Amino acid sequence: MKKVIMGNHAVSYGVRASDVKVISAYPITPQTQIVELLSEMCAKGELEAKFIAVESEHSALTACVGASAAGVRTFTATSSQGLLLMHEIIHWAVGARLPIVLVNVNRAVGPPWSIWTDQNDSLSQRDTGWLQLYCESNQETQDTIVQAFKIAESVMLPVMVVLDAFFLSHTFEIVDILEPEQVRPFLPPYKPKNRIDVDDPHAFGNLASPGEYFELRYMIEKAMEASRDVVRDVDREFEQRFGRGYGVVKPYRCDDAEIILVTSGTVASTARAVVDEMRGEGVKIGSLKIRVFRPFPFEEVYQVLSKTKKVAVIDRNISFGHHGIFYQEVKSALYGRTNVPIIGYITGLGGRDVTPRVIRSIAEKAMNDRNAEPDINWIGVKI
Amino acid sequence: MGEKITFKSFKEMPLCAMSIADMTYNFTGSWRNVRPYYDFKVSPCRLGCPAAEDIQRYIYLATQGDFEQAWKAIIESNPMPSVTGRVCFHPCMEKCTRKDYDQAINIPAVERAIGDMGLDNPKWIKKARATKKEKIAVIGGGPAGLSCAFYLARAGYPVTIFEAAAALGGMLRWGIPEYRLPNELLDRVVQSILESGPITVKTGTALGTDVALDMLEKEYAAVFVGVGLTRSRAMGVAGEEGPGVEHGLEFLRRVNGGEKVDPGKSVVVVGGGNTAMDVARCARRAGSEVTVVYRRTMNEMPAIADEIEEAEKEGVFFHFLAAPKTITRGGSGRVTVVFQQMKLGQPDESGRRRPVPDGDKTFTMEVDKLFTAIGEEGDAASFGKAVETDGALIRTKGAFGETLKAKIFAGGDIVTGAASVVEAIAAGRKAAERIGRMLSKQPEPAAEEPRTISIENINTAYFSKAKRTLPPRISVEAALEGFREIHAGFDEELLGRETARCFSCGVCNFCDNCWVFCPDVAVKRLDDQYEFNYDYCKGCLVCVTECPRSAISTREEGR
Repeated sequence: MKKVIMGNHAVSYGVRASDVKVISAYPITPQTQIVELLSEMCAKGELEAKFIAVESEHSALTACVGASAAGVRTFTATSSQGLLLMHEIIHWAVGARLPIVLVNVNRAVGPPWSIWTDQNDSLSQRDTGWLQLYCESNQETQDTIVQAFKIAESVMLPVMVVLDAFFLSHTFEIVDILEPEQVRPFLPPYKPKNRIDVDDPHAFGNLASPGEYFELRYMIEKAMEASRDVVRDVDREFEQRFGRGYGVVKPYRCDDAEIILVTSGTVASTARAVVDEMRGEGVKIGSLKIRVFRPFPFEEVYQVLSKTKKVAVIDRNISFGHHGIFYQEVKSALYGRTNVPIIGYITGLGGRDVTPRVIRSIAEKAMNDRNAEPDINWIGVKI
Repeated sequence: MGEKITFKSFKEMPLCAMSIADMTYNFTGSWRNVRPYYDFKVSPCRLGCPAAEDIQRYIYLATQGDFEQAWKAIIESNPMPSVTGRVCFHPCMEKCTRKDYDQAINIPAVERAIGDMGLDNPKWIKKARATKKEKIAVIGGGPAGLSCAFYLARAGYPVTIFEAAAALGGMLRWGIPEYRLPNELLDRVVQSILESGPITVKTGTALGTDVALDMLEKEYAAVFVGVGLTRSRAMGVAGEEGPGVEHGLEFLRRVNGGEKVDPGKSVVVVGGGNTAMDVARCARRAGSEVTVVYRRTMNEMPAIADEIEEAEKEGVFFHFLAAPKTITRGGSGRVTVVFQQMKLGQPDESGRRRPVPDGDKTFTMEVDKLFTAIGEEGDAASFGKAVETDGALIRTKGAFGETLKAKIFAGGDIVTGAASVVEAIAAGRKAAERIGRMLSKQPEPAAEEPRTISIENINTAYFSKAKRTLPPRISVEAALEGFREIHAGFDEELLGRETARCFSCGVCNFCDNCWVFCPDVAVKRLDDQYEFNYDYCKGCLVCVTECPRSAISTREEGR
């Protein structure tokens, strides 16, 4: 059934379709509507899940850790400061190998206080061992939630699904709603190998000596590596079953492109409109959306970008003292394999609009400005 | 201890740090230096109740929808919750812990609702058969006598109640107006008590005239005297005998007997107790303008606060710090009363400040009727020489109504002086229990100092603020039209709302918190209780903190 719903509610419907058993969350703008609708679904019995209200995000994720360790499918959603408060448990979920799915609605980090979008909150968690998937439409958001559970439970790592505040979270689009009965054959009930069980007691979270800790970390990275194929295969299986696939990266008109714009999140859609516009004017331009940020798709990125003459990476984030984070990642994917010039652009922080005009100015600068700094160019700074 | 497990390769490792072996061999309880244990206290409300009703328990049972057991829990201490739920001065609410959080639980309304359910479900009570041969005489069919008879009959003793009036109930019937306690309801309460066991009733049989105490002492294995206070106290004021002046209790007797009374246009009531309030409000219902004159101030009034408030709502005027000095009569049939103005002096033995004349200040009122309601006293002559008296009261020793005569017990107002229904009920029950132990030669139970809790012991994080639930009531205008009850009873919804507010102080109500929060799964949940598994309890005491009601105590290990 198709419905016109906001991005946040697309998340809720994705969770509903996934037969989640425990949801624990603490409200924070711009995420609140996700768990608001979920709590209503639980109250009405549309979703047979336990909704645990807590006093902080730290507790929300901790409750998910407990429930997941006890062997059930769990979900939480947060944003910005909430995600940062979860940071300790973000690591824990990985070390305990718990397939939790978390939605982070990208919101700029304070101070100064902001509720609008940028990616620094989720990207600051990039080294924790969570998979990260960035969405650009409401339909993709719903579908990615369902995929995320399947991926997480295959590799026993938690997955973070990320969407832009307001540009996606509060924007209404048509979504083909997935029903739990449709999804069940694709995503069977979660059956963990080990779980906390009163009738079969084991100790969890024990002290690991230097003799074991190293290997347990190694196994996390091996799982992350293995997840590359899983992410791709799950998306393919989803596409076969439901007719919608999203890929690991999404190249657009890149085959003969002399310049490619690298984007993520909702900027990707805007960039495609700019590509079409400039293609109409005879400019050989394409765009590449990076959907999977962790594990980083080195090979897919290389395959697309190695054939072009120039790369412009648009970052809605900044690693202070370094560069845009996607820029760093793209650069490391190409390092030593090609000499194509890569230029980094920072824009849209704190929810400032990234309009077609902004993206076009980036493309034109990248093509024409011989004096551009390769690493970090701030677009639209008024100082 | 399990065997050591050696991995042949790292591939055999689990994904996360966990023990492969079963860990039950590791008795982590040995780490404990403090032990939690379930330790139920006595709720403050129960300590506040003269009849020691297990209020926490019946409220808990009501929250579970088990009204039959809730009713039985009350009946253990009080055979007439329908009565006390209406007329008690509810000292329990003064002790209610919730009072220190938002508002005390509306205990009387809960008690009344459950009590009325008992009347509607006569099958809840099983009639006791006479299993004992010793016959007991109970003199007086008021709350003390009915209570004593009920508990003796339940224990299997054949009881005979001697009542001076034509019907049982005592002050409940003759002293309390119908808008507080309907006669029809009282009839049902009395009936339920009489049907509970082997009780015989002799009405119209007054002590001292129709039967003598020393005769009953010989005929019966034990005698309980609960005759109450039957005589209105005189004011000792010149002119108080004569037309236009009536004892308040006599007036109430006429009103409660169904007589159509007409006290006149203007009425003054002298006194500050419940009788004064009852008289004033009955006179208002007869259409009179009523002024209550009390020699102290409102703060010292012994009447139940709610009754004073209702009287004010019904348009009763109050005049404080005045006492009648002389009463004279003119030809018009009205009485002229000169009042001495008073002021408060030093506290007396009751702790209240004693009223003393304020110089020679006086004022005069001319009224159609003056009612005296300054207290009642006993009829010492009716006892003969069978018991020792203290003024017009019977002297007792101990807590169970024992008089100086082994076979004679006494309780209620005739022992305490004017007190309350619930204290009379408590006295009747305690005497019944003592008589039972005496006749069956059972030892007296050891008195234990009860342990209770206060608001500091409640984890208030678990309770939202919620105002006391009030039952629906009729308007003041409707109230003044007749003798309808002011308040309706709780329906099940209101009952549920109010019982849900109870903290269940110091007593487990199976909230599951200890079971949920124990990080070591060392709390076992059995059918009707929890149990600590001390093999694994590390003594972290999370259960103690998270128990909202202090039903868990701790003690150091090795002590």
